[in-house]
Amino acid sequence: MSGFEAALVPVGQALLSGILVGGVYGLLSIGFSLAFGVMRIVNFAHGDLVMYGMYVGVVSATFGIDPLYAIPFSFLLMALLGAAQYQLVYRRFVGFATLQQLLAAIGLGLVLQMLAQVIFGADTRSAPSMFGSQYLLIGPLFISAAQVVAFIVAVIATIAVEALLLGTHWGRTVRAVADDIEAAELVGLSSQFINISAFALACGLAGIAGTIMVTYYPTDPSKGLSLMPIAIIATTIGGLGSIRGSFLGGIFCGMVQQLTAMLWNSALQDVPLYVLLLFFIAYRPTGMFGFRTE
Amino acid sequence: MRPLLPIAVVAALPALPFVNNYILAATVRALIFIALGQAWNIVAGIGGQLSLGHGVFLGLGCYVTGILFNELGVPPWIGVWAGALVALTVALVMGSMTLRMRGVFFALATVAVSLAFDQLARHYVDLTGGDNGLALKFLGNSLWALQSRSPAPFVYAGLVFVVLYYWITQRILASRFGLEMRAVRDDEIAAAAAGVRVFRTKLLGFLVSAAMTALAGGLYMQFYQAIDPESAFGLGQAIQLQLPALIGGLGTAMGPIIGGALMIVVSEATNWGATKLGLIGVDILVYGLVLLIVVLWAPQGIVGVLSRGRQR
Repeated sequence: MSGFEAALVPVGQALLSGILVGGVYGLLSIGFSLAFGVMRIVNFAHGDLVMYGMYVGVVSATFGIDPLYAIPFSFLLMALLGAAQYQLVYRRFVGFATLQQLLAAIGLGLVLQMLAQVIFGADTRSAPSMFGSQYLLIGPLFISAAQVVAFIVAVIATIAVEALLLGTHWGRTVRAVADDIEAAELVGLSSQFINISAFALACGLAGIAGTIMVTYYPTDPSKGLSLMPIAIIATTIGGLGSIRGSFLGGIFCGMVQQLTAMLWNSALQDVPLYVLLLFFIAYRPTGMFGFRTE
Repeated sequence: MRPLLPIAVVAALPALPFVNNYILAATVRALIFIALGQAWNIVAGIGGQLSLGHGVFLGLGCYVTGILFNELGVPPWIGVWAGALVALTVALVMGSMTLRMRGVFFALATVAVSLAFDQLARHYVDLTGGDNGLALKFLGNSLWALQSRSPAPFVYAGLVFVVLYYWITQRILASRFGLEMRAVRDDEIAAAAAGVRVFRTKLLGFLVSAAMTALAGGLYMQFYQAIDPESAFGLGQAIQLQLPALIGGLGTAMGPIIGGALMIVVSEATNWGATKLGLIGVDILVYGLVLLIVVLWAPQGIVGVLSRGRQR
């Protein structure tokens, strides 16, 4: 191997881990993006549902059940929690992302985070799956099996959501309500039911993202909040409201993070992302795939 | 002269026989809390732009004042202006990049900027003290260094801030600039149609608010004698900065004062109860609940509820 190729190995390693980590970022971003795209709700508590999804994995692991088997349960539980949140808090804000709505979401997030602290304690917890400590070797590159599995789950879930939105009757009604809520009601759609179900789906996706993430990334009650910047950046870069855009935005964020950590400093791995966010907001607020100007 | 009475009461506090240092310190905390809330109220309450990043300006006020004092011996009454200048520069860059867009993007961008400053403050340990934060070199009682063992002088300093900021808020509300800010808040398109230069108005409000926050940050630094990344740039701090105005009444001059005074009582009580029960983070839970309750059921705050009561 020549010197040049040897120098490329760490870059390839960073890009590969970035893509794997980024897939899960993508999954947690599409739920955030869906709630915004359909209902104009900026769900600042989305990360906290991811955190609860992580604790679903932790709890199932303490009962000796592999966290991967808990994924469907996590989806259902967070979907229910999401529907309850929608009814209690977000219902009155549908259609306009106002200052009040953001504040309500922040308040809700704080309450969820502190409840998690009361229930689970403030300690860091982890829940490795059956692939926990296995590594794969591709040429000179190392990858963690748990991350590969997580990436695959994220891709499947994203494709399923796209298929649901593009290919089913329900998906068409969701898109109709997102486009023009009044016109949709005029042709006889119940925006109430459609909004609850879409919001529940968005929150369920947060649950899946959390449960697969905890198989390689330990959790604590503040993890939810600390994941929100990634969701915000991935969604803005990909385009608020665009599912595939948010997913690709997540992968992009993962790659930028890992490259920064390798080339500059792992403690500052998020700083370029924040700068990118500012530039996207200033010069391309619809993101790379966004279809709407806010 | 109704406003003179509460001012006189607070000013007389240090001289009263039954008032101990605990009560004085709580009063100072309340005054600082109120001053920061008054500053945030300008951009968010009057201007309608939800900044979640005012911790950045508080932090810059604290860090710049503290670093200049510790490293170069610059006294805080000069250093705080340097802090305000740095805060203005950051606000100018942030504002001109994000305020052209509607509110959501601005709010999200301010979160990102706070977190970027958080990571930077944690990383550049030599300058900022990293995770542990920055402690002022303590010289004892000193007018030159604006330091004092007793909280009493800070009661007066805090009072000056609150009265001055109240006056500024009143002046802005009564001015053409305040009218334009409220027009932009209520309907951007209508305001633009009526000839208001929307972007310029938003940016100016943001700059005024940022500078006021950084100056109050100087007082914060002198009183607490220390700052760390979490208390400066954390989301918890960003939310605390909003509570006085939200609870008291957004966009009113009295709102932050009433809300801040009430919040300090609630936070002292919950902290006292939490230590008794051995629970951590209960104050945050209370903040979250209060935020939810106010936003969902009393969006006009206490001032709004009171004036509604008067109309009936």
